[in-house]
Amino acid sequence: MTAIKIEGLRKEYKDVVAVDRLDLEIGEGELFSLLGVNGAGKTTTVKMLSGLTIPTAGDAVICGRSVVKEPDTVKESIDVSMQETAIARKLTVDENIEFYAALRGHTKDEIADDKKRVYSVFGLGKVAKRYAGKLSGGWQRKLSVALALISSPKVLFLDEPTLGLDVIARRELWGAIRDLKGKMTIILTTHYMEEAEALSDRIGVMKDGKLLFVGTKEEMFEKTGKENVEDAFVSIVTGGEEDA
Amino acid sequence: MRKTFKTFTLAKRNMKEIVRDPLSLIFLIALPLLLEVLFYCIFHDLTPQFDMKNLAPGIVVFSQSFLTLFTGLLIATDRNTAFLTRLYVCGARSHEFIFGYTIAMIPLTLVQTVLFFIVGGIIDPSILGVGMLRCIPIALLSSILFIGLGILFGSICSEKSIGGVSSAVITGQSVLSGMWFPIEGLNPGMVTVMKCLPFKNATDVMRLALTGGGDPVKDHLVPILIVAAYAVAALVGAIFAFRSKMRSKNT
Repeated sequence: MTAIKIEGLRKEYKDVVAVDRLDLEIGEGELFSLLGVNGAGKTTTVKMLSGLTIPTAGDAVICGRSVVKEPDTVKESIDVSMQETAIARKLTVDENIEFYAALRGHTKDEIADDKKRVYSVFGLGKVAKRYAGKLSGGWQRKLSVALALISSPKVLFLDEPTLGLDVIARRELWGAIRDLKGKMTIILTTHYMEEAEALSDRIGVMKDGKLLFVGTKEEMFEKTGKENVEDAFVSIVTGGEEDA
Repeated sequence: MRKTFKTFTLAKRNMKEIVRDPLSLIFLIALPLLLEVLFYCIFHDLTPQFDMKNLAPGIVVFSQSFLTLFTGLLIATDRNTAFLTRLYVCGARSHEFIFGYTIAMIPLTLVQTVLFFIVGGIIDPSILGVGMLRCIPIALLSSILFIGLGILFGSICSEKSIGGVSSAVITGQSVLSGMWFPIEGLNPGMVTVMKCLPFKNATDVMRLALTGGGDPVKDHLVPILIVAAYAVAALVGAIFAFRSKMRSKNT
């Protein structure tokens, strides 16, 4: 089953084309990584797919709904964790979850379940009563990602979720993301090649708003003749020039 | 019903963010309270300006000017992080944010008003009476003005610049309200400017509400309408600025 179908998606800012005629299908329960250098169009793509930015042209259908025609309905089945940590700093971890769940229209009983579910995935229970702003960067990022799970989204967008984290915190977050695999469709944008390699079912490579490659890492290696995602990525983005 | 619920959920969070910030409590409550007690003790024998019937209403409006700073700071911080973006994804609308920020400040305004009048009444029991109750709706009206300005500034300023911009409002309330000094000797042009701005009108009408008296139209209705006009303008400007800023960020 297809969770996301993107057709000719395009975004222009004045004279800059941020995303150029993107065509892509992502299956239900798939973890799809979107790789690209800075300015490749990854975040703009996520913003268009999550109904935060209106596409200049094209459309995307998420869980059967158009992001152009029905952005509000699309928002009911998705959630986003942007690259900046998005938490209420003077609320405790518990209160952050309660606040976000209440905004999603959850009842008290549902909120109690939300807490159990989120705590079991991210181990946030041990810091439940601490103010979010007083947590370490790793815990704040975990909370930020965890809040995106409260609505039990069918599609979860993770925009550079481990940006700025130390290696231990990053590995812990990878573990949590691995636990989510198969339970929902996940679109992950990242700068870290090893992250994409460790987590993805398929990988897409973007450059200058265009999707240059889509496939599994094995297909990536086969196409480029490389043995790891980083080398294969560089080869795709530079058109093989770095080998010269 | 759903929208109301979202607005109140946002308001609850915003209020917690404000009251858990020690600095906001210092400037919204402690500093005005200190000034009320200190200025009364030092100056009330020297000039009627600092009689409690004049000082307490002035302090209430002065304390509200700090709402501009802390409302603005909260919004600028929310904008700077991805917090507002996250809330947009869960379907919250611009007007729900605006009302969420506004409603969050109303209990603070009530606490300020009641506290400064009660403390004033303890120091000078002559101000105790029904006049205090008349001051509450006026305090609510003037607080909308300062909150609206805070939302407006928070929507267009950065976290770093919000302090400077808000201090213009705090200074405006101090200097242009006539609360700290009599305006009789001032240049007539300056007095006209003061009468056209909301600061003096808010302070004067609150003083008259406390003590009673004055012409119902000239001294009560006109100042209330002037303050209301500025409050509505600030709130409408805030809605447009907030909407436009969020749209430019996300489109």
